Amino acid sequence: MTNKIKYNTMLVLLLVCLAAAIVAAVSIGAVNIPAGEFVDVLFRGKETEHSTILMQIRLPRVLLSLAVGAGLAAVGAVMQGIFKNPLVDSYTLGMSSGASLGAVISIVTGVSFSIAGISTTGVFAFIGAVATLMLVYSLAHKKHKISVNSLLLAGVAVSYFLSSVIAFLMLLSRDNIQHVVFWTMGSLSLTSWNKVAVSYIAIIPGILALMLYARELNILTMGDESAQYLGVDVEKLKKILLLISCVIVGSVVSVSGTIGFLGLVAPHIIRLLVGSDNKAVIPFSAILGAILLIVSDTLGRTLIQPVEIPVGVMTSIMGGPFFIFLLRKQK
Amino acid sequence: MGYKITIENLDFGYDEQDVLRDISLKFPEGGFISIIGPNGSGKSTLLKSISAVLKPRRGNIFINDAALSSMKKKDIAQLMSVVPQNTALEFDYKVMDVVLMGRYPYLGKFKGETEKDYAIALQNMEYTNTLHLKDRSFNELSGGERQRAILAQALTQQPKILLLDEPISHLDLQHQIEILTLIKKLSMDQNLTVIAVLHDLNMASNYSDYIVMMKDGQIKGEGTPIETLTVENIKDIFNIDVQIEVSPLTNKPYIYSIAAPEIKKNNIKVHVICGGGSGSEIIANLHNSGFMVSSGVLSIGDWDWKVSKDLDINIAEDVPFSKISDAAYETNKKLCVEADYIILTDFYIGKANLRNLQVLLEKELADKAVIILGDESFEQRDITEGMASEIFRKIKERQTSLLVSNEEIYNLLNKAGARYD
Repeated sequence: MTNKIKYNTMLVLLLVCLAAAIVAAVSIGAVNIPAGEFVDVLFRGKETEHSTILMQIRLPRVLLSLAVGAGLAAVGAVMQGIFKNPLVDSYTLGMSSGASLGAVISIVTGVSFSIAGISTTGVFAFIGAVATLMLVYSLAHKKHKISVNSLLLAGVAVSYFLSSVIAFLMLLSRDNIQHVVFWTMGSLSLTSWNKVAVSYIAIIPGILALMLYARELNILTMGDESAQYLGVDVEKLKKILLLISCVIVGSVVSVSGTIGFLGLVAPHIIRLLVGSDNKAVIPFSAILGAILLIVSDTLGRTLIQPVEIPVGVMTSIMGGPFFIFLLRKQK
Repeated sequence: MGYKITIENLDFGYDEQDVLRDISLKFPEGGFISIIGPNGSGKSTLLKSISAVLKPRRGNIFINDAALSSMKKKDIAQLMSVVPQNTALEFDYKVMDVVLMGRYPYLGKFKGETEKDYAIALQNMEYTNTLHLKDRSFNELSGGERQRAILAQALTQQPKILLLDEPISHLDLQHQIEILTLIKKLSMDQNLTVIAVLHDLNMASNYSDYIVMMKDGQIKGEGTPIETLTVENIKDIFNIDVQIEVSPLTNKPYIYSIAAPEIKKNNIKVHVICGGGSGSEIIANLHNSGFMVSSGVLSIGDWDWKVSKDLDINIAEDVPFSKISDAAYETNKKLCVEADYIILTDFYIGKANLRNLQVLLEKELADKAVIILGDESFEQRDITEGMASEIFRKIKERQTSLLVSNEEIYNLLNKAGARYD
């Protein structure tokens, strides 16, 4: 029962932080807009001189950050559960790069249109994520066993390779360097309500679907074999979870490019705060991921104005050292 | 009641390599069953096949006539649970949470644990003496505590069959016994069928009702411990020489390794006249120190006789409860004559074995060094109304006789041995 109180307190705390982050992110920028004005515009439908900036630029950007951050963090938590290692996430396994490549191929070849809200770019990104995951998985697969070290190594190697392919394709299609940065570093600068809609359709239900498997993920911590002894169909479970993860990562990447380390950091912090129960870890990581990405993006676009630092650079600057810290702690 | 496990023509292999070959087996219902065999014999693989984690290449496993391959994972988990060698969690959980995972096979997708599930978990924690660890984190527990917690989890599945894969191999002796005793108790209290892969043959002997022996992926024998754990079987399966003692209390075999370093012989011959267990310790000690020991006349089945037989030394033997025969007497005399020293131990002398004393009066033995134990208690041990005492007096009055205590005898003979070197 004490757990319940702890979880509820944590949930309230995180939601308050999220709300604060949203308000702050909408207010801060090249033009600082008081929070009160934002509330007026949003809830009272007032028209002010900043209405357009708020409603057409900042709010969609913040809402997109929210979905992207939540998606990456939830996927990170789940992947760490599946592979039983805190160093794994969609970025270190190369899934994000694969999704990027898929999206880039769809754009370069010109088959980018959308049917009923589902863009082909998203579908290509999903396929890219699945294919990369399968490749990395098979590279790390040796004699019926997966070593997490080889998994990470394969993930990083494949990730580098795919990033160069993306850069090459972008240069071939004479696109500007800005786009290469977008797909390999990740950015939230090209936001539209359309993108927001697309991402929410796939990401939020995806996270909810992942949460349904929290109990099975908890049991998986016992080891794949022990989980089977307890009645979990481990192979099926992994397939389902990885597939959902690929859908989320695919749509995240198709709207924001590759954003690193977020999926690694958020679940780890949550585990330190509330323990390892995935019933709490998945949703709380999602909220924390949203907060972290909103904050990172806001910092990225305000720190050295008028230059905008891509959000992926921001998360990597913070996440890279954290990753090394985790790696050293593991030994 | 009990659950029947039947295995029919089971083959299992990884890639090219065969691990299990044509295994057919009917496990007895209920009780503690052990699977033993050397490393790589396929014991664990067999256990994993029974728990449906590994899929056989060929053949079937039936539980109460239902084919395992057609059962759902959750249904299998309700029927049997498994305790592996050791468990470590990458992400830490409280012991209570780990034990509660045992309720998973009974929970619906959208339903949480009920009061009843908690009650079952708590009850099994009490049973395995882990209740006080409830709120501790699992990874902080000691090896023994962890195994008990995992056992609590396995019991929380409320299985009919409990499978254990070397459950004690990472534990110290105290915890090994603690865990096995607990499991044995379970098999009796809850009528569980327990199937355990064990390394230690004596543990297997002690706790099992039934033993399955494996080698090279095949069943080499099955039956009660006393049927299966024989010197020949163990030589055949483990390729080691052992000696087996059957405990008269439990009728369970106890296995000793006899791979002792070669004893350095010193060629001094000692004949021990004894009986009723009075000479066994001396015989064994002298033998192991390199003396060439013989004994006699001993009744067949006597403790001293058994020790002499086990050590494979020369014995003058005779049937029990009758007067020593002429043949046995002559053998005894011959061994006495050949010996450098004769030891007379403190055994009871009655009419039946009086000739063991009389032999020392033979004129060939008049100058033999006779070491006599227990002079002070002789009269109490004489149950021949004084006949023995009279002979004893004559012997001990000789120049060549020496009266010693138990401690002195080894000093004496060691000195003799040292002089010989």
